[in-house]
Amino acid sequence: MLELPLRLSGTVFVLAAVVTACDEGLQPQPICGAGFVGVCGTIHFRGTIPDSTDNVFVAAYVTFPQTCNDLIANRQPFIPASVPYTDSAAAYSVTLPPRAYEWVLAVWKKVGTLQLSPADTALLRVAGYYRNPADTTQPGVVTVPSGGAAANIDFIADFAHLRPATDFVTCTAR
Amino acid sequence: MHRALTLFLFLAVPAAAPAQSGGVVHGTVRSSQGGPIRGAMVGISGSTFYTQTDADGRYRLAPVPPGDVRVRAAAIGYSPQAIVVTVRGADSVTADFALEPSPLELTPLDVVSTKLPRFGDHPVTSVAQVSEQEIDRRAVNTIDEAIDKVPAIQFLNGQINIRGSTGYVQGLNSRVLLLVDGVPMNEGDRGGINWDLVPVDQIERVDILKGAGSSLYGSSALGGVVNLTTRDVPTGVHERVRFTGGVYANPPHPVWEFRDQSGYQGGGDGTWSYGTDEFGASISGGARHSDGYREHDSGNHWQLAGKSRWQPAPKTRVDVSGAWADDKYDAPLSWCTQGQCEDLGQAYQPFKTDTGGRPSWTDSRKGYVAAQARTVVSDRFAWQARGSWYRTDFFDQRRDTSEFGVSNRFGGEIRVEAHPDSSRTVLVGAEGAYSNVTSDIFGDHSQSEFSAYGQSEQALGRARLNAGARIDFLAIDGGSLSAVVSPRLGGSLPLGRNGGALRASVGRGFRAPSLAERFVDLVASEFGLRVVPNPNLRPETAWSFELGGTTAPFLTFMRADAALFWTEARDLIEPTLIVASSGPEIQLQNVAEARIAGLDATLLAAPLSARLKTALSYTYLSTERRAPGSPNGPLAYRPAHQLKLAADYALGPAGVGADFRFASRPESIELEGYVDPRRVPMKVLDFRAQWTHGPFELRLLVANALNYIYNLVPQTLAPVRTTTLTAVWSH
Repeated sequence: MLELPLRLSGTVFVLAAVVTACDEGLQPQPICGAGFVGVCGTIHFRGTIPDSTDNVFVAAYVTFPQTCNDLIANRQPFIPASVPYTDSAAAYSVTLPPRAYEWVLAVWKKVGTLQLSPADTALLRVAGYYRNPADTTQPGVVTVPSGGAAANIDFIADFAHLRPATDFVTCTAR
Repeated sequence: MHRALTLFLFLAVPAAAPAQSGGVVHGTVRSSQGGPIRGAMVGISGSTFYTQTDADGRYRLAPVPPGDVRVRAAAIGYSPQAIVVTVRGADSVTADFALEPSPLELTPLDVVSTKLPRFGDHPVTSVAQVSEQEIDRRAVNTIDEAIDKVPAIQFLNGQINIRGSTGYVQGLNSRVLLLVDGVPMNEGDRGGINWDLVPVDQIERVDILKGAGSSLYGSSALGGVVNLTTRDVPTGVHERVRFTGGVYANPPHPVWEFRDQSGYQGGGDGTWSYGTDEFGASISGGARHSDGYREHDSGNHWQLAGKSRWQPAPKTRVDVSGAWADDKYDAPLSWCTQGQCEDLGQAYQPFKTDTGGRPSWTDSRKGYVAAQARTVVSDRFAWQARGSWYRTDFFDQRRDTSEFGVSNRFGGEIRVEAHPDSSRTVLVGAEGAYSNVTSDIFGDHSQSEFSAYGQSEQALGRARLNAGARIDFLAIDGGSLSAVVSPRLGGSLPLGRNGGALRASVGRGFRAPSLAERFVDLVASEFGLRVVPNPNLRPETAWSFELGGTTAPFLTFMRADAALFWTEARDLIEPTLIVASSGPEIQLQNVAEARIAGLDATLLAAPLSARLKTALSYTYLSTERRAPGSPNGPLAYRPAHQLKLAADYALGPAGVGADFRFASRPESIELEGYVDPRRVPMKVLDFRAQWTHGPFELRLLVANALNYIYNLVPQTLAPVRTTTLTAVWSH
């Protein structure tokens, strides 16, 4: 008489245990690990870190920006995460949709609040960018494959040669 | 309003009539195995007379009119019983009950959805209850940990969702109303809920109304109502002491380790009470400390609570209660992503927090005082009045800045309850509340609320029809009033004599914007954007429909309850990116409409008599968010599937149990693309055991026994395996 209910109860909990065992929850994810989609690599830092440094972040552009407005509006990700900059080198990764990017760069930011407008360029400097291996005077194109990562996108960020946006684009106001 | 006033005056007439003399019905409610049943409901159907048993299972009803009366006793987990007694003059009559254990027995009454205790009736909307026994054996520190096990309820970082009502809005509001002994306790500034306001050891029972309850409870009851009933003061001298101690599991992967030794938690509290038949008072105090299960997660909690009852006349009872809690804890607790901490080459570190954001901590103090009086004028008429003051006070210290806020919520209500005949119940009431806030991020503002409500329930053959409505007037900073009307219509139909019933209801709910939502003015440091005020926010509204049913026991050991629900919400308040002359800003706006539909089903089974009790519940949610300028999609933070399993086996003074909770991975989160998108399904298994010996009780809880690592909201690690031992001595 009791066999049916006992079997039923046992089955329910075995099912629960199986469901639990099927998924291991959150797992460690090395930078540029399996499943990551975007750009990753190492930034090598040079020069003395300015006292006014707030942070350093990595951003990417599908097409090379032409104006100050492009710098802000076309930035990916729109609100980038910071990269540690106190050691001589730091691994980084930026989640990006699969496609080609004409400019991947490290941006230095001084202390201050960003407005997400062209006026932000007053707080931002280009610290370095990935260069074309065949012509290191030019930015290199980085292609994020579908479902994978563009790895080993290594470049140098030089605190001694922080360059304003106007070195690269046309700005009507700063 | 005019009609409500007329009805009030009509109903008040009996109050002026000379009171009838009556007798006393008293006795005990025990289990058929001999033990007293605490908290059993005892009352006379269709009348104003009801009460609860004390710790010794004793009850007293007075003054009961002369004649034959049918006294009914019911308790969750026992078969209800009725006894007919004859009351002569002012004599005392004894009616002792011996209830048979019946693990399939459902919630014995429907307090929350009607504000009236009723016996033998079936609620017109879904109601759940967490009993004292369930709270005890779960060995929890705050009551939300016990409510989290109720079907169709999910807590997201402390924020309650009943059938997907609220989502996650970082405590800025709640679409669920919290009541403590019937008194609203949502914060005056943010509208959120502090689940540690009342010491968990003082809570006797939790009643939960699922679905819109604004027709009786007004604002915030958009998605449901939770009522905490605190312990009554028993007669005699009683003491209760409780100590807890526990340890947190370490991270399961060496690369996530963040400290050299394990983290601990512990605390203690005590209660002393004294009572006579006319008067009783209790006072309790306690403290606890937690190292936290992650980095920068320690916290301290102190609490004081008191309650008194006074019966100045046989027909009148006055209750005064209050509590104060102070929490100081590290914050915020978002996990760090690459570069924000010592990441050890990991894209994220779920046990570590952003080192650049420190020092940061929060000091949160909150307390309330409430007084209620209830007079039973006759077996047909009673009135009740209450007043309350709820104060919250927070101070947030962050690396570069600090924030503070002090808010008060004063509330009052008067209601009358009439039973014109045995087939009809009428309830009419008026309620008022005044909230204010002084804060550097919310400013100095106030909100006033005035309301009137009425509800009637009528027997129509075997069926019962329930209809009611409430009108709420809202004024901000003393300005003009805006009105919200919340009607509800429902009915229930018993199926046979074994407890099966069908139910159906339709009702409108609303939630007034909190003062914080209207006037918040700060810079969201994580985005570098300013959040600007919007004083013109309108209330959120929703129509909710429910069709459900409870079966009678079948296959001798099973019982089922299921409900289909559908909510259409309008004017939902969400953060919106706007472009101002100074650049982009965030403002809370009434932008979204939404549909939440689904199934809420529970199967109870007691395959080994009363020794083994199991429950299986499943909730399916289908949601759709509609807003101008964005594609339709699912609402954020609503898992489509939730499954809960519970099993308890009792053998004499010992018992063991387990809870399993599953929630599928939420399809959508807010600010997708701007926050760490990592999220996984929730799969949590808890084990517990308890042993009682005389006045001593030991409880063991292993929460998240498999140490499943998961998060419910972005970048916030949910609790790891926590082993807690609790010792209780009560006298």
